Parts: sequence; C-alpha cells; structure tokens
Amino acid sequence: MSTVVEPSLTDVQMVVEEVWTSFLGAEDPLLPMAPGTLEVGWSAAVTVSGEWQGAVSVELPRSMAEEITRRMLDLDDEVEEVGDDDVADAVGELVNMIGGNVKSLMPGPSALSLPVVAAGRVARASDVVEACRLDASWAGAPLLVSVHVRHPEMG
Amino acid sequence: MYALIIDDSRAMRSILRRIVTDLGFETLEAGDGQEALDHLEAGRIPTLCLIDWNMPVMDGYTFITRVRANPEWRDITLMMVTTESEHGQIVRALAAGAHEYVIKPFTPDAIADKLEMLGLVAKPVPA
Repeated sequence: MSTVVEPSLTDVQMVVEEVWTSFLGAEDPLLPMAPGTLEVGWSAAVTVSGEWQGAVSVELPRSMAEEITRRMLDLDDEVEEVGDDDVADAVGELVNMIGGNVKSLMPGPSALSLPVVAAGRVARASDVVEACRLDASWAGAPLLVSVHVRHPEMG
Repeated sequence: MYALIIDDSRAMRSILRRIVTDLGFETLEAGDGQEALDHLEAGRIPTLCLIDWNMPVMDGYTFITRVRANPEWRDITLMMVTTESEHGQIVRALAAGAHEYVIKPFTPDAIADKLEMLGLVAKPVPA
C-alpha cells in the first residue's frame, strides 16, 4: 500500500496567514475557528499534479470576497464598485498563492494548474479525499481553506 | 524608467504597480507572456520585467527564453514573481536568464530589496 503525503494543518495555517498578512494587511488578523455554517458566495481551487497530487480550495462568503478584491485592487469603498470579473480574479490569485505554497511543502516535482473560480462552490474531482481543512474567520466572517489529496487506490 | 508587469491577475498587477510606482518606475502591463512580447516587439522596451510563471497563452518561463534569444533585449532586467517555489524551477528560471526570483506572497520591502540589489533603485538615505 503506498503512502500519501498530506500537509499538516499547522503548515496550511502558516501559508494562509502569510498570504493574508502580505496582501490584506495585518490589521484584521485571520483567526482559527470551529467549523460552522458558511454561506459560500465565491470559491476557487487549484490542482497540483506530479509527484504529489491534490487540490487546494478556498471558499468565502460574497461580502468577504468583495472586500478582498477592494483591498487587492486598492479601491475606494465609498466610490468604486467591484465587478464579478474583479472578484473572480482576486479570489483566483488568492488560491493560486495558497496552492503554490502548499505545493512547495509537498514532494516534487509537480505542476500547479491555473485557478478555477466559481460564484458558488467549485466542483471537485471524485477521486480525492479531504486531507486538511482550515476553518477561520476574517473581519468577523468565516472562510474555509481545504486541501484534498488524490489517493492512488482511488485512481 | 519603465517596468513591464506580466501577470494574468489584474489584482496582482495592481499590487505590483503600486509597489514599483512608489519606487520611481512608470509601468506597462501584460496579462501573459505573448502580450508582453507584443510590447517589446512594438518598441516599448522596459528597464525591468516582473514576470509571473503560470499564465495562459504564454507562461513566464517561455517569455524569458524568448527575451534572452533576442540580443537587442539583453539589457532588460528580468525578475520572476511567482508562487512557483520548487528549487528546480528557480534554478531553471535563473539558468534561462532571469536575474532574480521572488516568491509570492511578498512584501513591498522584498521587491524593493531585490531591485536595490540589482541596482535599479537607490537605497533610501537615513534621515
């Protein structure tokens, strides 16, 4: 039976916190929280293929996705509206950075896909299982980052 | 002094644009390597290119090999700014002709430090 390497929750949390702090500022820290109900407004995923095979996804409420977009694009809250294209772009870049850094913790070489983004929940391959999930809150709202791995026995 | 920011994410281009503008650059932008090559072929030659690796149409690694294949563009400083952080990929990019490599996420200071090492920005004089 082959061994499948999985990232630890601590590692994933460290990666997510670094991305959050670097691009969204340290004023609103990302806080771990117990799993709860999350009304998914936007989600995004990247897949990793190669020596390690898996997927990293982020699920967010719509208001958080829009606030992240505002901060990344440096938009004025009062004046400028964020469009869905901008939100998809920002959420996609977020999962790209998280996924790329999770990939770097796993055995390589491997390749990172371009992000897939959805208004709602992105579809997930049927041959993966959840290896790690980080439930957190940011600016008072919940979000979920999860890592799924592909088990050879399922392929 | 122009910086050409090459990234398929508008949000990332916006973040990089603010950083390098603060460092004294004017900016051009491209959403993929081919669009960036179009700028160069049109005579818009930057001092610096900030290059993502994973992009549709033409990735950053291919862009670097294309730039380095043209002697007329040899003075352009190429800096990868990417989530790709495997050692083998960093070595590959540097061997292809990238001068520097920054892994996302980064801070503005990390970009400034690299550009200072490359001699493209001056170190601020302490007050």
